[in-house]
Amino acid sequence: MKFWLVRLASLLLAVGFAFGLESVVGHQFPSIYRLVVLAGLYITLSVSLNLINGITGQFSIGHAAFYMVGAYSAGFVSKALFSHQPLVPQLWMIVMALFGACCAALTGLVVGLPSLRLRGDYLAIVTLGFGEILRIVTQNIGAIGGAYGMNVKPFGSPPQALWLVWLLAILCVAVCRNLLKTAHGLPFLSVREDEVASAAMGVKVPKTKVTAFVVGSAFAGAAGALLAHAETFISPDTFKMDVSFIILTMVVLGGTGSITGSVISAIALFAIPEWLRNLQDPVTKDPIQIPGPALVASIISVVIAVALFKAVQNRFHGSKPAKFGLYLAAIAAGFVCKLAFTPILAQAPGLAAKSFEASALRMVIFAATLIILMLIRPQGIFAHHEFSWSWVAKLFRRAPKEATA
Amino acid sequence: MNLVAGLDFSILPQQLVNGLLLGSIYALIALGYTMVYGVLRLINFAHGEVFMLGSYAALFTSWLLGFSPEAVRGVDRPSTWVNLVVMLLVSMIVCGLIGVLIEFLAYRPMRNQPRIASLITAIGVSLFIQYAGGLFLPQSPPPAISEQVNPYRNEKVSIVLKPAGQEIVAQAADATKKAAIAEKAYDDAQKAGAPADKVEQLRNDAQIASNDASRLQTQVSSQTSGLVIPYGQLGMLITTMVLMAVLWFVVQKTKTGRAMRAVAHDFDSAALMGVNVGRIITITFMIGSALAGAGAMMYATVLRTPLSPFLGVQPGVKAFVAAVLGGIGNIPGAVLGGILMGIVETLVVWLDGLVPGLSGYKDAVAFVVLIAVLLFRPGGLLGSSKVEKV
Repeated sequence: MKFWLVRLASLLLAVGFAFGLESVVGHQFPSIYRLVVLAGLYITLSVSLNLINGITGQFSIGHAAFYMVGAYSAGFVSKALFSHQPLVPQLWMIVMALFGACCAALTGLVVGLPSLRLRGDYLAIVTLGFGEILRIVTQNIGAIGGAYGMNVKPFGSPPQALWLVWLLAILCVAVCRNLLKTAHGLPFLSVREDEVASAAMGVKVPKTKVTAFVVGSAFAGAAGALLAHAETFISPDTFKMDVSFIILTMVVLGGTGSITGSVISAIALFAIPEWLRNLQDPVTKDPIQIPGPALVASIISVVIAVALFKAVQNRFHGSKPAKFGLYLAAIAAGFVCKLAFTPILAQAPGLAAKSFEASALRMVIFAATLIILMLIRPQGIFAHHEFSWSWVAKLFRRAPKEATA
Repeated sequence: MNLVAGLDFSILPQQLVNGLLLGSIYALIALGYTMVYGVLRLINFAHGEVFMLGSYAALFTSWLLGFSPEAVRGVDRPSTWVNLVVMLLVSMIVCGLIGVLIEFLAYRPMRNQPRIASLITAIGVSLFIQYAGGLFLPQSPPPAISEQVNPYRNEKVSIVLKPAGQEIVAQAADATKKAAIAEKAYDDAQKAGAPADKVEQLRNDAQIASNDASRLQTQVSSQTSGLVIPYGQLGMLITTMVLMAVLWFVVQKTKTGRAMRAVAHDFDSAALMGVNVGRIITITFMIGSALAGAGAMMYATVLRTPLSPFLGVQPGVKAFVAAVLGGIGNIPGAVLGGILMGIVETLVVWLDGLVPGLSGYKDAVAFVVLIAVLLFRPGGLLGSSKVEKV
């Protein structure tokens, strides 16, 4: 009984959250509506890739392909059929999300089958290859717009898709979380740890691997279907290899296998470039200009600061506060370097005249963040840990008494 | 034209040679991927970017040598082969240093970390170089190395495999002669100050005769099947072969090479046997990147590709596929894979005659071949698929 009550409560909470977000963002912050939609889609993508990569340990780096299959199949059918059927747009989008998920799941099955024969880097390159093949094929089919892309406007105006996107994200998180918490998830984890040993223990390794691919790609496909309807325009360029890499980065940066990590790094990695894109001077509203010498000085000092940070991390074995102090010192050294180098570099004739818009720097900063985070925390932000409320409970519990010697 | 099922077989040998030339560039890049993978088990995604920086190094060297766009505009600057060698060496050295720098800053700290973390770092480095390059490198309009750098740009080797019919050759020669006579008559009339309608008449005649001649000549060349290889591309092929021979010598015959093979075979045991693993990894990165630099210089100079900070992406991916195709970590495999890749790519364009629209799938075919090969030989063509030990 309690089990079903908890299920029901969570379901209500999720639906309430999705519609609440829809109305808050839709009415209060319409300017970021699109970004919140995309953030939700990225959460779905990164959590679903985490199922394949992090939880089952199958090194797939072509996730954008499933995203694309979902988007194109749903977009194409929606364009052709929406006007001939009785459903309202909101329900139709749910149907289309399911349809996109099915198409992507089929693709996932096809891509998952080689995973039975290949492992590691070979599997990675095959998934990447499948992604590229699908993208190039799409580019060459005139009926779905070819390289020019396809307009998907079955409803006339762009639909309110935010609630559905976030509901999908919550569903994806819930499926993965429940998989990890229940016995159904154990085969997946054991395949990740050791295929041979888990086969010896009676785990059906091929079935587990293919299931992971099918479920992961189905979620990506559903996300793609919603993207096609929310954006009203899709083109093969939307699903380039870079997108697969970014999704993979979200998974690894958050901590391979950690759902919380995937969610948080998906939001962060999506938000950083967007924030930089719109960065402007608070007073004049002009785009911020960064002078050339300051930029080069920052790059050099970041390298120095990270090197010092890394040195402290590896070489220093003192007490925690002392280590923390040295970390701060490394960061401070970076700032000092920046201040010292800027006037020196300003002497360089070609550089001093140059300046860069902050929005042009966004991918550079994105890449630098990626490298630095990987260098100082290779296991990912959350490592294998998950978010839980236990630390809140700990705050209220009395500290256990020291055992008297 | 002798078309069979829509295919022009007379250009097939030329296409194969072109494929071989393109493939030799892919092979040079693939060697870098495969060597790094061999010692570190790391897919060096930044390798394509090293290639891109190498092409820019060649561009800047050509500017320093006096072939900047301003210097060559409207003038015909003489050049010698020394310029080409200097550009090649500078490109190789710059790339070698960049490779070592990337290894030192980004990969060395990740040595004992999970491999996926190093992979993400590699992707990060690749993105960083692309976009930072976009800030600092000249890119619009896309700069290209001046063709005047290449002193042999007009010379080529022609090999006739099957000459055209004698009749048409004779006709063409006749028409060419007639065109010359008509041209001369027109010139004479103009100089002599003949009446305007007469000059006009002669001009038309000359025009018709020269059209006739060029039409016949086109027919002759379409009926002749043979190979035309510009000196530049021949030099490219020879340079590639020399570099590969040097690499083979270094890997097989020197102490460093033996150490390299030992590290590739078993990282930990090599370290225990007293191999300075760190030094070997640095050398591997240096050699691999220098080879990419050589490939980049030839790609930019001989094939005269317009440069951009994203230049390295496509050749990088293709070369990576080539390395996997040959069996990643396997040096002869990379060469074989690269050449296969180049030939397949040109053949697909050629097969466009049979299946219209096929050339649009040029970039996809590389992956199709790869997947097909990997499904039957999971370790690549020359690689051995290891059985996992428990």
